[in-house]
Amino acid sequence: MSELIRLLGLARPYAGWLALGVFASLVTLLANVTLMALSGWFIAAMALAGVTGASLNYFTPAALIRACAILRTGGRYGERLATHDAILRLLSHLRLWTFERLEPLAPAGLMAQRGGDLLSRIGADIDTLDEFYLRVLVPVLTALFAVALIGLALWTFDAGLALLLVSLLVLGGVLIPALGRLGARRAVHDQVRQAARLRALAVEGLQGMAELLALGGERRLLERLETTQATLARAQRRGAAVAAGSRAALGLSAQLAVWFALWLAIPLVRDGGLAPPELSMVALLSLAAFEAVTPLPAAFESWDRTLTAARRVFGLTDRPLPVPPPTGPSPIPGDNGIRIRDLAFRYAPDAPWVFEGLDLDIPAGLRLGIRGPSGCGKSTLAHLLLRFHDPDRGHIELGGHDLRRYHGEDLYRRITLVSQQTRLFTGTLGDNLRLARPEATPEELAAACRAARLEAFIDALPEGYDTWIGEAGLRLSGGQMRRLTVARALLREAPVLILDEPTEGLDALTERDLLDALGALPRDRTLILIAHRRVMPAWLDTVLDLEDPPLRRGRPESPGS
Amino acid sequence: MTDPARWLRARHDLAGPWPKRSTALQLGNGWLLILQAWLLARIIELASFHQAGLADVRGLLFTLLGLYPLRALLAWGGDLAAHRGAAEAKSRLRMDLARHLFALGPLRLGGQSSGGLAPALVDGIEAMEPYFARFLPAMAFTALLPLSILLLVLPLDWISGLTLLLTAPLIPFFMILVGKGAERLNQRQWRRLARLSARALEALQGLATLKLLGAARAESEVLRRLSEDYRRATLEVLRVAFLSSLALEFFATASIALVAVGIGFRLLWGQMAFLDGLFILLLAPEFYLPLRTLGGHYHARMEAIGAAERLLEVFALSPPAPPAAPAPVPDLRASPLRLQGVYFAYAPGRPALAGLDLEIQPRQRLALIGPSGAGKSTLFHLLLGFAGPDAGRILVADTPLPALDPAAWRRHTAWLPQNPRLFAGSLRENLCLGLERPSAPAGSEPIDDGALWRALDQAQARDFVAALPGGLDSRVGERGSGLSGGQIQRLALARAFLRDAPLVLLDEPTASLDPDNETRVQAAIDALARGRTLVVIAHRLDTLEHADRILLMDQGRIRAAGDHQALMADPLYRHLLEAFGK
Repeated sequence: MSELIRLLGLARPYAGWLALGVFASLVTLLANVTLMALSGWFIAAMALAGVTGASLNYFTPAALIRACAILRTGGRYGERLATHDAILRLLSHLRLWTFERLEPLAPAGLMAQRGGDLLSRIGADIDTLDEFYLRVLVPVLTALFAVALIGLALWTFDAGLALLLVSLLVLGGVLIPALGRLGARRAVHDQVRQAARLRALAVEGLQGMAELLALGGERRLLERLETTQATLARAQRRGAAVAAGSRAALGLSAQLAVWFALWLAIPLVRDGGLAPPELSMVALLSLAAFEAVTPLPAAFESWDRTLTAARRVFGLTDRPLPVPPPTGPSPIPGDNGIRIRDLAFRYAPDAPWVFEGLDLDIPAGLRLGIRGPSGCGKSTLAHLLLRFHDPDRGHIELGGHDLRRYHGEDLYRRITLVSQQTRLFTGTLGDNLRLARPEATPEELAAACRAARLEAFIDALPEGYDTWIGEAGLRLSGGQMRRLTVARALLREAPVLILDEPTEGLDALTERDLLDALGALPRDRTLILIAHRRVMPAWLDTVLDLEDPPLRRGRPESPGS
Repeated sequence: MTDPARWLRARHDLAGPWPKRSTALQLGNGWLLILQAWLLARIIELASFHQAGLADVRGLLFTLLGLYPLRALLAWGGDLAAHRGAAEAKSRLRMDLARHLFALGPLRLGGQSSGGLAPALVDGIEAMEPYFARFLPAMAFTALLPLSILLLVLPLDWISGLTLLLTAPLIPFFMILVGKGAERLNQRQWRRLARLSARALEALQGLATLKLLGAARAESEVLRRLSEDYRRATLEVLRVAFLSSLALEFFATASIALVAVGIGFRLLWGQMAFLDGLFILLLAPEFYLPLRTLGGHYHARMEAIGAAERLLEVFALSPPAPPAAPAPVPDLRASPLRLQGVYFAYAPGRPALAGLDLEIQPRQRLALIGPSGAGKSTLFHLLLGFAGPDAGRILVADTPLPALDPAAWRRHTAWLPQNPRLFAGSLRENLCLGLERPSAPAGSEPIDDGALWRALDQAQARDFVAALPGGLDSRVGERGSGLSGGQIQRLALARAFLRDAPLVLLDEPTASLDPDNETRVQAAIDALARGRTLVVIAHRLDTLEHADRILLMDQGRIRAAGDHQALMADPLYRHLLEAFGK
């Protein structure tokens, strides 16, 4: 329920557009119901007049029938434009809202308990949310108003007929789909599970294709694919049977509505409670009224989908801030030296300590290596320096001021990080570089690329800096991608540059090349190189070992040892 | 490239008889609907004009009531049959695609990211559902039911019949006319939307990077601007695209109004019976309904065409034809393997192997070394028969590789990639993968536990497997979760021991294993090399020193060959060795 209220809240700025959509859709619907009911009445009245010779004002109803046809046509067009405009506005709003909500949380506030990717589904989830407005909200509101108005209109002829029609509309449009949804719950659950299994199998088979073929295991994989697909198809068939049943039952309710209307109305015609032409009108009205509830079964399905998506999206945006923002303006640092005193940190109150009383001084301009096996806290130290987390005890100072007093953007101007999580974006080489400094001149771009040993590669490209690097930079090789992220970080001109495993996943030659490039950087900034290697480059001033617990207190050693 | 719409049409048979059955059931339901309309008209006529009470029309009323469950049943069956057809079509298409992908092999698929193929195999095929389940059965139905209605109406009231007859073709005509243009615009919009969604997703997933670069706020501005541009452009398109629904709605509704008013006047003038008039009025909306429904399914068709386009990219690649009468695989323990002028390019003009000549003697230990991109992995893939060379020959003894059955040839090879993979299933299944007899059903394991333990022992993997609570039946998940990299290496080695293949292709792991694992893996490799031909992509000095012969590869060619001492004269070799030393 709370998700419903929040979804409605998000749509508030566009309530006018949505209301316009509902109105247009209501006009479209009622125009058709009126057209059919009036036509029924009209031909019966004309036939009666023809038989009895009584006079009849046929101009008004005939004109009304034509007017209804035009109204329906225009209404349909208006409805489509209004709802689509509203949805496009909403979708853009939803994206930006999520982006702006998640921005302060990234990255520490968005980390999953066990390192899973919380953001992998969010794009699809946001795209699903618009279904709520287009397929749930507008049809449900339209149906609600339409059923009420049709019921009221029929009430003026006979209360019993009105009650009957409204109850059958509720039965066919609400109760039966609700029951169907309940009946299909197991099947839907199975479908989701089997589809996930099929997806996992497809990914495994395609990623492992070379090995499967080499081992001769492809036949087995294809067999498993076939059986999993058959299981999925069975679950889908069960779901389809229920859905088809719902649709058939909705049709049946419409027919029953006409039947019972006749049952009630025929005696009324005999008694004179209803004029003979009104019998045709009632029959055709009952039949046409069901157009109002036809989209409701689909709305039920959409609601399930959007609810799940909304829960996931809100679950992310509601996460608590990982670190509280400072209250005052950021201080002006004296220099760019870093001082760590009595630092203690752990990820959760019941987790083991990562640091327990670390003291470390990193004077401005130092080239510091940090090494140790994976899981020893090397990256955590980098994250603490960037204040992704706050220490549990002790403090970190930059330029003589506690890190907690710096606003994020001011801190990132002074300390920047390149890690394996550093991403490239779809676009050109230049686009990616200029993310760091939009106003960078071509000379500055070239200088950064020269320093990262990327210039020769770019100069050889026919399109140079305008070369399209593909989705997430995938058209580049691993080494080129890493060097591009380094060049981009250099453009930031931050006085402290942290490189977290910059050569991980690169081949030996590329690795050496990149490390040489880093060593050749001008000594105008602090450089912190994090790696799990035993041998560190000789150009480092100091190497800090985070090997075993006593050393976690920080004991600088000579390089290369 | 084939037109996706035509390609899809050629695949209608995949759904089997089900779409026809569905159409038949729907048509039966439609005919009952006509009967129902007549009964309804008759009852209303009797009650309105002949003072009939409930008792007088009881028979008719209950006949009408009896039709309802029958119609519901037919509608239900029609839906289910349509779904069934779609399920069969999807299942056949998916298996065709999967077999095609495996026939192409990893090398020919090199240009396609596995990130794009897996969704094509699962969701791309699922996207075909509405086409087969709704559009296909609706097509025939749309032609047949309105025709039946028309044939009934024409003799009763030719003016109404003519109205229906004249407006009916206008609806698809306008839909196609406006739809064609809109479709092109629409597809462009869809692509723009997909790009916008991708951009937004990328921004969200790269939030941390954007933040560190101080670019998050600017990016949200960009997103706002792009969304707004997209909305404006889309509405421009929609204003035109929705004209098709305007035309559709106009002709359907206006002609019902026209029929109703016309009937009214003919009734007033006594030119027709009320029963016929009401009957026609009741049928008129049903005449247009299938046409409108088909219009709604047009979207399903467009989506399926979009998905088909993606599939066609893959189906357009043709796998090599397997040899009609495969030659027997020569014994590699006695005969050499020769590569003559082997040339292979992933893309035209960018060869990975550029004329490679090489002879591998039986039981030789051959080490390959070279910078990344030198063609070492491509060479392995060609030796495994994932693709034939673009030019040149690979000869096993004197038989060219393409003359052998690829699966039979691969049984004579054992390949250990840098990061071997375990597949979801039990440890036993993983060890025996590919060793099942071709005729044996999946799950029956031909290898007894003794042999498995022996192989594990040789691969230095017995200890940790024995310590696993499930032993050989322990479940291992994707990427062999729960086991360390070194343990997975040793399991892959056990797999190689079990295969007992004469040719071993080994890509040495670069990731640093802990010293204990490293010694054990090395010992197992040495054991495996004994009595077999070993080709190893070397990343360690030790491996080079123990090789009978070293090939230094660069840019798809062999730059130098010889033993370690001889190669030390080459600057590239020294440079590479330095990098190994780290």
